Amino acid sequence: MVELQKTFRERLVDFTFYCKERQFMLSPQQTREAFEISRRGFMLDRKLFHYSLKSIYCTRKEHFDRFDEMFDRFWSRYYNELLEPREIKVKPKKKKSTSSSIIFMGAEFNNPHKEEKKETKQTKGANQTVRLRMTDFSKVDVEDKQRLEELAEELFHQMSMRFKRRLKSAKMGRIDVRKTIRKNVPRGGTMLDLAYRKKRKEKRKVVFLLDISGSMDTYSFYLLKYILVLKRYFKTLEFFTFSTELTHITPMLRENNESEILKQIGSEVTTWSSGTKIGDCLTTFLSDYGSKFLSQKHIVVILSDGLETGNVAQLREAVRTIRRKCKTLVWLNPLKGMEGYQPIQKGMVNVMPHLDAFESAHNLDSLMKLEKLLMDV
Amino acid sequence: MNKDIRDLVQDFFEHDYILSEELATAIFLLENLEKPLLLEGSPGVGKTMVAQTLAQHLNTDLIRLQCYEGLDVNTTIYEWNYQKQLLHMNLFEKENDRKALGKRIFGMEYILKRPLLESISAEKPVVLLIDEIDRADEEFEAYLLELLSDFQISIPELGTVKAVTKPLVILTSNRTRELSDALRRRCLYHWVDYPSKEKEIDIIHRKLPNIDQDLAEQVVVFIHNLRKSSLNKPPGIAESLDWAKTLLLLNADHISDDIIQNTIGCVLKHQDDIDFVRNKTVQEFLYPID
Repeated sequence: MVELQKTFRERLVDFTFYCKERQFMLSPQQTREAFEISRRGFMLDRKLFHYSLKSIYCTRKEHFDRFDEMFDRFWSRYYNELLEPREIKVKPKKKKSTSSSIIFMGAEFNNPHKEEKKETKQTKGANQTVRLRMTDFSKVDVEDKQRLEELAEELFHQMSMRFKRRLKSAKMGRIDVRKTIRKNVPRGGTMLDLAYRKKRKEKRKVVFLLDISGSMDTYSFYLLKYILVLKRYFKTLEFFTFSTELTHITPMLRENNESEILKQIGSEVTTWSSGTKIGDCLTTFLSDYGSKFLSQKHIVVILSDGLETGNVAQLREAVRTIRRKCKTLVWLNPLKGMEGYQPIQKGMVNVMPHLDAFESAHNLDSLMKLEKLLMDV
Repeated sequence: MNKDIRDLVQDFFEHDYILSEELATAIFLLENLEKPLLLEGSPGVGKTMVAQTLAQHLNTDLIRLQCYEGLDVNTTIYEWNYQKQLLHMNLFEKENDRKALGKRIFGMEYILKRPLLESISAEKPVVLLIDEIDRADEEFEAYLLELLSDFQISIPELGTVKAVTKPLVILTSNRTRELSDALRRRCLYHWVDYPSKEKEIDIIHRKLPNIDQDLAEQVVVFIHNLRKSSLNKPPGIAESLDWAKTLLLLNADHISDDIIQNTIGCVLKHQDDIDFVRNKTVQEFLYPID
């Protein structure tokens, strides 16, 4: 067993908090185990300590993917200074500013002043999470971007767990004869305890149409991630993107790995940030996919700001037809989150009478509220 | 590399499993912290094989529980041996002390041990593999929590059965559904990815020592490029090995269009994927890997 120095102990606790801030789900048990391996001398070997902490602190692939970078940022300086002093003496580096936040982070930065500011801002604690939840996607600055993505990932993960729990079947239903007999064998075959069987609750079918035109640029990434989470819940989820062209995305969603899906969508959809022809695209959707993906069991969700540059009459007609053919039509407009917003653009004015719901989707909070809407329809 | 980890890697290598340093550290912790290890990854990357090799490495038994929807306590933990209980009730019918009779027929000898109970009752620590946990229901995950955190199982009629020896538990998941945070928190975690080109060539050489170096390299490059394509089911290491074995049997010294047409079924298991590859030339999949 190795006796741990006070500075090391503090650093390890700081690292645990740093991981927690980056949405790692850590309990005191994990911290205890980190101390346990350190006392066993694992911290004397950088790689061993790195991989051990990785196994203990990560619980999901998303954490696993970003742990290496976090570990290096936090522990590089510690290992460079304490464990390799000779090497440092041979190759003296330019003395960097050792402000408190950098010592705290224990990292090597190319631009210490800039990073210092960033980290100070990032360690605000619980309020930061609330602030990020309320931040409009279009107003997220570069410094908050990564934090917001991590928070979104965590919230979406929690949402998918909630979806699953709602699917529990009730205790009543038709009697399951086979199970009842088996259950009552210990009672000599007397049917005292009945087992029930119930048809699985039918999951909803949903079609998402995401606007990826230039005006939606700041929102489409988060909305895309949101849809990927919902994919796990709905029985059939069909996903299309549109701007000047309609693209069927569902075949690309086969992968289990979310980042691979995003990469593939990014490379195969060529119309990102182009113009907006909602009417045209919805008409194409109706003619090419309408018979397959529109029925009284389908919920259609259109995610768009409604800033139509094409034919408005065509848009109105397409929306009217979609509404007639599906169970529910929901329009999510990120602009609705803006203070004083009124749907007075010609595109929105024409489609409003045909919508079952018109909601905002501009920040994480509004996306979380949609969960209820999608479950209730 | 740390000596213990190096020994572990070496020992696994002798059992034909090429272990990365990272995974070796996770297995080392599994042995030392006595905490279950959750391995996640695409199908066919060698997750199950880790448990099998670990059992060989420790020279102990492997108890495997293959998960499926509808798995319950009776098939995983224990079940009362009702026939034996009824038989003994008839035998002891004349006994006056009903309480003693009740106690007698609810003893450990009337229990049929299923894999989980068996694993904690073994005299020597065993490797318990809970395979494809994502296929089981959430209720089953909840059953597991007590075992994974405290290595004990509660049987209402008997009380708590504590582990005689703690098993080394490995859980695998293909990530077809998200596992609960409660389960994840109780486990060490490792994501098993597809191997690098060099590692996959080493694996093929280790399993098929007679294979020509160029052929092994072609197989790996082809498979790696296939994985980059948008397939329903990208090939895993198992498929690479099957294909390399097939090519050896056919005495092929390189991959040609004809060979692809005839043997692609070893690699791809979806008709759409097979059609996708058959409509292309072999050269389209043999470009160098970055």
